[in-house]
Amino acid sequence: MLKKTFLLAIAVLLSLGVVSAQDAPNPWRQFEGTTIVVSWPSLYHFQVAQTLIPEFEELTGITVEVDSVQYESMHDKQVLEMSKPGGGDYDVVSWVIFWKTEYVNKGFLKPMAEFFTNPDLVMPDYDAADLIPAYLESGSVVGGRRAYLPGVTAALYGVPFSGETSVLVYRKDIFDEYDLKVPETYDEMLETAEWITANVPNMYGITSRGAAGHQIVHAWLLHLSPYGGSVLDDNWNPVVNSEAGVAAAEALKRILDASPPGVTSYGIGEASNSFLQGEVAMFLDNDRIINQTRDPNQSRIDGKIGVALHPTAVTCGAETGGFAIGIPTNARNPEAAFMFIQWMTSKETDRKLAKLGGQPGRMSTLLDPEMQAMYPEYPVIAKQLECANVDWRPLIAEWGALNAPILGVQLSEFVTGQKTAQEALDEAARLIREELTRAGYYNWMNLPGMSQ
Amino acid sequence: MAKFLNNRRNLVPFIFLLPAVFILVVGLVVPLVNAFRLSFYEWSMGTPLASARYIGLASYERLLGDAGVGESLGVTLRFGFWVILIEMALGITLALLLERQIRGAALFRTIFVLPLMVSPVVVGLIWRYLFDARSGLVNFYLEEIGEAIPFLQQFGFTTQLWLADRNLAFTSIIVTDIWQWTPFVFIIILAGLQAVPREVLESAYIDGANWLQMTWFVKLPMIRSVILITLLLRLVDVFRALEVIYILTFGGPGRSTELLSLHIYKTAFTSQQLGYASAISTLLIGIIFVLSLGILVFNNPLKERADF
Repeated sequence: MLKKTFLLAIAVLLSLGVVSAQDAPNPWRQFEGTTIVVSWPSLYHFQVAQTLIPEFEELTGITVEVDSVQYESMHDKQVLEMSKPGGGDYDVVSWVIFWKTEYVNKGFLKPMAEFFTNPDLVMPDYDAADLIPAYLESGSVVGGRRAYLPGVTAALYGVPFSGETSVLVYRKDIFDEYDLKVPETYDEMLETAEWITANVPNMYGITSRGAAGHQIVHAWLLHLSPYGGSVLDDNWNPVVNSEAGVAAAEALKRILDASPPGVTSYGIGEASNSFLQGEVAMFLDNDRIINQTRDPNQSRIDGKIGVALHPTAVTCGAETGGFAIGIPTNARNPEAAFMFIQWMTSKETDRKLAKLGGQPGRMSTLLDPEMQAMYPEYPVIAKQLECANVDWRPLIAEWGALNAPILGVQLSEFVTGQKTAQEALDEAARLIREELTRAGYYNWMNLPGMSQ
Repeated sequence: MAKFLNNRRNLVPFIFLLPAVFILVVGLVVPLVNAFRLSFYEWSMGTPLASARYIGLASYERLLGDAGVGESLGVTLRFGFWVILIEMALGITLALLLERQIRGAALFRTIFVLPLMVSPVVVGLIWRYLFDARSGLVNFYLEEIGEAIPFLQQFGFTTQLWLADRNLAFTSIIVTDIWQWTPFVFIIILAGLQAVPREVLESAYIDGANWLQMTWFVKLPMIRSVILITLLLRLVDVFRALEVIYILTFGGPGRSTELLSLHIYKTAFTSQQLGYASAISTLLIGIIFVLSLGILVFNNPLKERADF
């Protein structure tokens, strides 16, 4: 009886808020007063994320300083900071996913297990399995098969933040007006693009990146996956000059020929712009374009677009790119940094970010009916992600040396008519082999008894 | 020798030179030597320098067989030849024209010097927009003229893919460089011309020399050393030009506008091969050195007393 009264009294007191949870520590506030420094790019998704930082600061009492740089120049700055012995300036870094293998190889990043093994740090409903798997694997899993893919030896070094995939975005109004079928295969897409360029006044069928270097390689890789090709095989042999590689290059050439004049100097900015300005009917590149069409400051085609799956050739395959976010080994406040990452990529924040125009990072966001009502492309993207190729380009540390300097020059020489596709890609394969030989990739293969 | 050193007066020039030498050593010689040393190593950014792998002359061996280096060296030499030739000719002509006391000369001089004051990145952006195939002003006027006089259309007065075609892209970077650097030649030559003593010109005038003779036989020979110095400075600059091309074409299409300096930049920061980039830099320094030396041996403006 006495016990019952006592319990009742406590219940009453609790409900009145007299005895609050004050004595139990609030895990969010365990790093109150700490300042963390975040290095991330000055891209739209991150600008949106920045507007949410005050909420995080209020919740945790952690002060966040953001060092926002153009993403091309972020690498050297991050490398410099992360290689400082005894603590660098950054507590959180966001990397373009093709830097991940280099960063991990050089010992720059803390394995996430260090934090996920600490129940004091991890929010119970974080649900890491809900993070979009394709982005997780391409952006933050390192050390498995072929060094950059998942596998038994792999570990997690960050979480995806601002990932992207590719879909076909088309002008619904033009397709309706001319009664065109939305292409599902490459052949259909190429024919439709050529038809529109030839027959629709003041309209080009498609647009693309085409500038020498990284840009044209990106365009070619977008088509390489669906044609069933890859850059390297499992033994690191370059296979860019395979039948699939040549087919992808020839598809790229047809796309460029149906694009606005001058496309061979286009980067992603010019390519996006030609679509946003209403000059072209199809855009096949990353899905960030969809949000851009909704921005009246840069788009004349708001509400006129439809979104379809990346067309297939011999197989389906979309890109997986963008950024991931993690914690440097020499961070001064790694736990507070983890709090920040966890909060930024939590289910709730992810939905908030997406509502403000950021990139969705979780399946729950893509499948949320409320979100789907707001963004009708979400079901398409969710479906596309089932067939997004994590291995659409080799994310090895040497990728920088293969990408723009070798493939970027050879492909450019092909599309400007200096070489045939086969010649250009043969030469690229030769140069890639040279480069990887220098880097020691074939040393094991050359031992007696090992076969290539 | 001891006697020389004992005389304190003899030491004075050396003491005065010391700060300059110090700055030169810290700012120039140390980085140069370090870069040279790095060219014998394979080093990846972000790893301790001590862990760099010594590879001896491998980078230089690779250099000899590297088609990319050869090609961009060729681009640089062709680029250098055309821009220096045209800039010198234009700069000297303009200086000769505007040196005379004509009405509005000061205004023209100011206008001509303006491009020099624009930051290279902005120069790159301005010309990138001008050369844009779809919305650029260059194509706009070409088309307008072509439409007004259809006869001219067969001579290229139509839409041109300035930055997307190999030959046109190369022409574009030459035009841009001429726009940017002719003022530099112009202003130095102008200063040289204005320093030519009046008496000499007057005596030539009294001897009955006409303007052409005066220019050809009096003025230009008298500023020969100024011209040579300008040539030298431009030569060195051409090999260092990077920002404008970086913005304008980034070396494309293919490698048609990839100057050696851009190639070094890409090797160092895109491919992350700092050792190899140092080796190419050494080659670049060697080439500039030989070319400069050639000009100086041919005619050393420092050796003779000033021309006037």
